[in-house]
Amino acid sequence: MLMLLKGSRADRLLLLAALVAITASWFVIQSQISAGPAVAEIYHGQVLLATYPLPQKGEAEQGFQIEGELGATEVVLDQDGVRIVSSPCTTQHCVHSGAHRHAGDIIACVPNRILISIRGQSASEFDAIVE
Amino acid sequence: MPEIMIPRPPLSELEGKAQWLALLLLAIGLHLFEAALPSLGPWFKPGLANLVTLLVLVMMGPRAAIALAIGRVLIGSFFIGTLFTPTFVISMAGGLAAAVMMIVAWRYIPGISLIGISLLGALAHMLAQFVTVESLFIQQSALYYALPPLLLLSCITGWINGALARYISARLTHEI
Repeated sequence: MLMLLKGSRADRLLLLAALVAITASWFVIQSQISAGPAVAEIYHGQVLLATYPLPQKGEAEQGFQIEGELGATEVVLDQDGVRIVSSPCTTQHCVHSGAHRHAGDIIACVPNRILISIRGQSASEFDAIVE
Repeated sequence: MPEIMIPRPPLSELEGKAQWLALLLLAIGLHLFEAALPSLGPWFKPGLANLVTLLVLVMMGPRAAIALAIGRVLIGSFFIGTLFTPTFVISMAGGLAAAVMMIVAWRYIPGISLIGISLLGALAHMLAQFVTVESLFIQQSALYYALPPLLLLSCITGWINGALARYISARLTHEI
């Protein structure tokens, strides 16, 4: 059965090249975006609408609405990170993707053209380890 | 009154078309199945429908593979109800990019097997999705931050699908 998964020499070289390129780009991206405190950047299409710091332990949650292509997307920032709680799109992928708080995480709602991207070091990462 | 009779095409001519059509139906079925799967997010699917594109490429050539990729996304989104939505545009870009990449790899990379072809197809599919979203819907390079982990997953699914395709094609040609 495992014989089936054995590629040719060319296959293995391609896999190696792909893995090296992907890992290298991952490191470059992480080193560029993990500096500074954790913030959520919110975009609509080409425009940066707002940058919010992620709430630290003990800070109150905050919610707000962003106007997108189809209507208002509701965003909540709390201890778990940032999440979209309601969206006017039909697919609802953005709502189902849940809360995010790690640098490099994104929540995208393509139909509504909304993007939330997280940069910086999250202070609540220690909780994740204890869990 | 003379009856009008249209000459029927010979069976040999229909055979290839019938095989292509059967594979198209299989690809559409897999497309629907994957749309219904609880996924690891909207960006990620196992890519079983692309496996059929690869099989058609090695059985019937590049033209048939491109036609299958287009037909599968078009008819598949009829059923899912995403025709001409962003989801449809992204699927089409991904499916076509994978088909073109696999054709290029199949034709020009010496020593490559179905596994390597499938690997490159999976990577092209993932990249094309992001490039499409970035150029058409959300013009932010921050999108690409999410790309590396997804590309790693693509390597795994691409490799496994390639192995499956090789197994299926070997069975079809009675090599095993």
